[in-house]
Amino acid sequence: MSQYPRNAMSNYAAPNQQRHLRACMVCSIVLLHSKFLQNGCPNCDSFLELAGSAENVAECTSQVYEGLIMMAQPQDSWVAKWQRIVNYVPGVYATKVVGQLPEYAIVGAENAGVKYIPRDGSELDDEGAV
Amino acid sequence: MSNLMSYDFEGEGESEDEDFNPTAEVGSDDEDAGKAANKPARRESFAEAPEEAVKEGPEDEDDQPKATASNGDRNRRQSDDRAEDEAKDETEGADGDANGEAEDEDEADKGDAEGEEDEEDEDDEDEEDAVRDRPRKRRKRDARLQFIDVEAEVDEEEDEELDEDDELVGDEPHPDDALELPAGAERDDRRHRELDRQRELEASMDAEKQAAALKERYGRNRVSASTSAVVPQRLLLPSVDDPTIWGVKVKPGKEREVVYSILKRWEDRINTREPIQICSAFEREKGMSGYVYIEARRQADVMPAIENIQHCYARTPPILVPIAEMPDLLRVRKSKQLQRGDYVRITRGHYAGDLALVEDVESNGIAVTLRVVPRLDYGANEDVNAEKNADTSKRKRPGVATKGKVRPPPRLFSEVEAKKKHSRYLSQISTLNRNEWKYYQDNYSDGFLIKEFKMNHLQTENVNPTLEEATRFSIAEDGVENLDLATLAATINASKSGAEYLPGDMVEIYDGEQQGVCGKAVSVHQDIVSLRVTEGDLTGQVIEAPVKSLRKKFRDGDHVKVIGGSKYRDEVGMVIRVRDDRVTLITDSTSQEITVFSKDLREASDSGGMVGDSKYDLYDLVQLDAATVACVVKVDRESLRVLTQDGSVRTLLPSNISAKLERRRHAVATDRDGSEIRHDDTVKEHGGEQKQGYVLHIHRTYLFVRNRQQAENAGVFVVRSSNVTTVAAKGGRVNNAGPDLTKMNPALQRNGGANAMPGQMAPPKTFGRDQFLGKNVTIRKGPYKGLLGIVKDATDDSARVELHSKNKIVTVKKDMLTVRDHNNNPIATGGFGSRRPGQFGATPSRVPSAYDGGRTPLPGSKTPMGDGGRTPMWNRSIAENPARTPMWARNAGREGGMTAYGGSQTAYGGQSGGASVWGGATATSGPPAPKPPPRLPRRLTHRPLRLQNPLYRPEQAPTPGAHGDMTPHHGAWSAPTPGGYDAPTPGFHAPTPGGPGNHPTPGSYGGGYGAGGQYATPAAAPTPGGYPETPGYYGAPETPAAPVGDEDPRYE
Repeated sequence: MSQYPRNAMSNYAAPNQQRHLRACMVCSIVLLHSKFLQNGCPNCDSFLELAGSAENVAECTSQVYEGLIMMAQPQDSWVAKWQRIVNYVPGVYATKVVGQLPEYAIVGAENAGVKYIPRDGSELDDEGAV
Repeated sequence: MSNLMSYDFEGEGESEDEDFNPTAEVGSDDEDAGKAANKPARRESFAEAPEEAVKEGPEDEDDQPKATASNGDRNRRQSDDRAEDEAKDETEGADGDANGEAEDEDEADKGDAEGEEDEEDEDDEDEEDAVRDRPRKRRKRDARLQFIDVEAEVDEEEDEELDEDDELVGDEPHPDDALELPAGAERDDRRHRELDRQRELEASMDAEKQAAALKERYGRNRVSASTSAVVPQRLLLPSVDDPTIWGVKVKPGKEREVVYSILKRWEDRINTREPIQICSAFEREKGMSGYVYIEARRQADVMPAIENIQHCYARTPPILVPIAEMPDLLRVRKSKQLQRGDYVRITRGHYAGDLALVEDVESNGIAVTLRVVPRLDYGANEDVNAEKNADTSKRKRPGVATKGKVRPPPRLFSEVEAKKKHSRYLSQISTLNRNEWKYYQDNYSDGFLIKEFKMNHLQTENVNPTLEEATRFSIAEDGVENLDLATLAATINASKSGAEYLPGDMVEIYDGEQQGVCGKAVSVHQDIVSLRVTEGDLTGQVIEAPVKSLRKKFRDGDHVKVIGGSKYRDEVGMVIRVRDDRVTLITDSTSQEITVFSKDLREASDSGGMVGDSKYDLYDLVQLDAATVACVVKVDRESLRVLTQDGSVRTLLPSNISAKLERRRHAVATDRDGSEIRHDDTVKEHGGEQKQGYVLHIHRTYLFVRNRQQAENAGVFVVRSSNVTTVAAKGGRVNNAGPDLTKMNPALQRNGGANAMPGQMAPPKTFGRDQFLGKNVTIRKGPYKGLLGIVKDATDDSARVELHSKNKIVTVKKDMLTVRDHNNNPIATGGFGSRRPGQFGATPSRVPSAYDGGRTPLPGSKTPMGDGGRTPMWNRSIAENPARTPMWARNAGREGGMTAYGGSQTAYGGQSGGASVWGGATATSGPPAPKPPPRLPRRLTHRPLRLQNPLYRPEQAPTPGAHGDMTPHHGAWSAPTPGGYDAPTPGFHAPTPGGPGNHPTPGSYGGGYGAGGQYATPAAAPTPGGYPETPGYYGAPETPAAPVGDEDPRYE
């Protein structure tokens, strides 16, 4: 397990802070707005470039999300596999993130080799048709 | 696949073998794969053999088992799929390389190849880096490429179409590859050989160079490890090898907190000696509130994670989630895409629960602009003292100010009202034709609040707007309603489920391929309806259709009933027009044409009107505000018409009514002649239209009267009570009779129905010290049967007996007691309810004996015997028992009683002040009737006595005997002289004949005292006066008590 560094910043958010939480629309990680702004998304900042850009944070993360997942061991977890967050860092993720990633960010993700899957549940419908 | 297996063994992956478990499911696909794999396997062995051994070789092996292991036996097919997809990619890459290196038959490839080599030369410089880089990069690729390549190749040859399908699912071929594919690559045999050769060459080639080349070509795309993201979710279903999920109960609403608490604990213990060994923890607040799910390998790992977490009920054992249900736990449903014009409901904040109309949807789908009917008080409830801070606090959070206060009702924004107090917060947004304002931070347009809301504060499904709510949005600026039925229909229909369809309904498919098919519903399963076709080619067949595409079919003339949520619910009528799904019918009850959706209709067999589900019924009396009452004269589905006390008719919503007033049965009013009016009396208006009717309600001085002949207001009209004359009182009540005060007399009421019959006397009551007190008794019945004790306390019919045997006080019915004297001989007395007929006064009621006469005045009659014993005695006619007459006749025929006590008459008359005490309660207009035994005031009189002697029971009706007992008490208690006793309260002295505890005028008191003197013994003493067995009383109809009574109205 622990590739989780001891000195890593805690992902804990006290209940009174929880309304400042936002979820990344690409990887669905849930962090405080301030953390997104400070450090960016730990999984997708290579292309989303959230750190330092309030605008990007506003556009690529969403306040509207459901279902918190505290992911301790993504490599082992079926939940992680199902959520497709196996290779992401441990932390808190959301099952559903509502919101539309802006076009430029989708392109950016594709260029970075990340297939963007909307996490708002729309994917399921497509699959249902398959 | 078996080859693959063997390869693994040859290779090195012993440890991984355990996982790799070839099973039957390998299937035919794998046959091919196996065949195909032959070659690479063989080739691989070549490749391995050479000393140079190509770093690539082992590396691939490295990756290979890993991949195999992870996918292992659980989802072989999936991994195969995936592998194929990726392999193709790689295959083609490999082809390219191979072509490059092997200067072979294909001329076209040669050029390529040279180019390639050039590249490689250039890359040589970077060799070192490349070597270091490569393993990392490679690892990210699927490692089975080496042979699965070929497998894919075979596939390609065999079925190109299939191939294409696969490509759709998986990665696209790399564009570079597409270019480099040799012409006629499908021509296989040659290609295979070619490949083999290439492989060999590759093997012998400088691996680093090759790697560099590969990296150059493909590396740039492999930045993030998201390859798994491409795999469809249905291939990720959980298996037994995955960690299990346990559900843990938590406090509903606190799921998130619990998840974060677990996170914190996990973080805290992460590098300690006992880390939390769970894989994940998650919650689904929307679907499964009250649970948090923990994913872990072992149940034992779950407990440390949840123990002592706040809001987490760790005591209840975790519930194992079956594998099949795991995906459902994480299923995500796309929330409805909102459109302009949809109805939603706000779930939080000031407008929680309110309906709103979507104005605009933000492109990111997070926020929507809504049109809401504002709830503003325009500062009406503002705290004056808080005014100073209002600026700052309000600006921050306008909702806070109103929190905890009553929420103002929804009303359209009125700039006039806003200007009154808050003109400084109000500004007009200048637009040309629209009425737009800015008030505080919000914009108002046409009276509606236009505001942005977050999606997660909205309820988008099952909104079910009522017509009432929806119509609020339909009022345009000109005040004309333009309710968009289509929008409403869309909102309502969206929530439609199969529940509206019943087997037997005629339905029509209006959408989809089978459009136009009609049939009768046979069965309904959730939202699929099976119908038997009744028309057209398909007649007789049963087909299934989703509810979405169905509507009910009606024909002109059908008799239908409205069932759905329309305001016409329960109306029954005949269909006169059908257009699409809108059906117009003419109602049976009102002959109005109404239009409803066909889904809200059902074939009706019954006729019938409205079944009111309103809280208020016709003719109910309702309270509108503190000063206004009204009578309901019409009940509509969503509104009521009422006639108020001032005669006006209003239509209002049930919510505007503050309360329903129960009909007060005893309400009395007086008409203009002063006679009493009660409910259901027939009254006639004096003057005016001389309307006549019976009284529905009496409220203060207003009468709600119903006249059956009158049509308007359902026959109800309002008059003042002083403006009517009574025509007939209900039940032939004598008109000028004052209120029947016997009904108000609690003492008489208490004795129940039988005794309350008019003209009959109430049973006498004893009061004073209970006869049983202090007596030695034995218990005759019950669990304490046979035990001896002393009566410590007694009520009407029970006694508390301190047992001699046990130190215990028990409560026993008095009729289960036998009184004993000091020698323990039973004292069989009528007074004590002895049953033995041979004894003196025993069972007086049952044995018609000579005692009968004596019974009356005797204390025996007040015995705590059962009612049965008492009743026959006191139900006797007065004539039968002359002894009673003087006393009890007064209760029945009071006048007589009064004459008998001429002296008391004055006292009675003087009592009018006292009478007002009780008489005032009723609106009687006559002079105070002399008959009622004013016991209430009399009781008051006795209160002080009671204080002194807790055993004293004024509510017991007196018998002469009792009074005999009492007299000395009176003497004792009323320490002051009789005169002094009397003086202050003439009312209570009023010697009304009815009153048992009545104190006589001093004169009669003296008499009473004298009489009492005869038995001036304590109640307990078995003196002749106290006990019926005293021979003196028998046969003497004028019992000692009687004369006393004659002189002394006390005995009344």
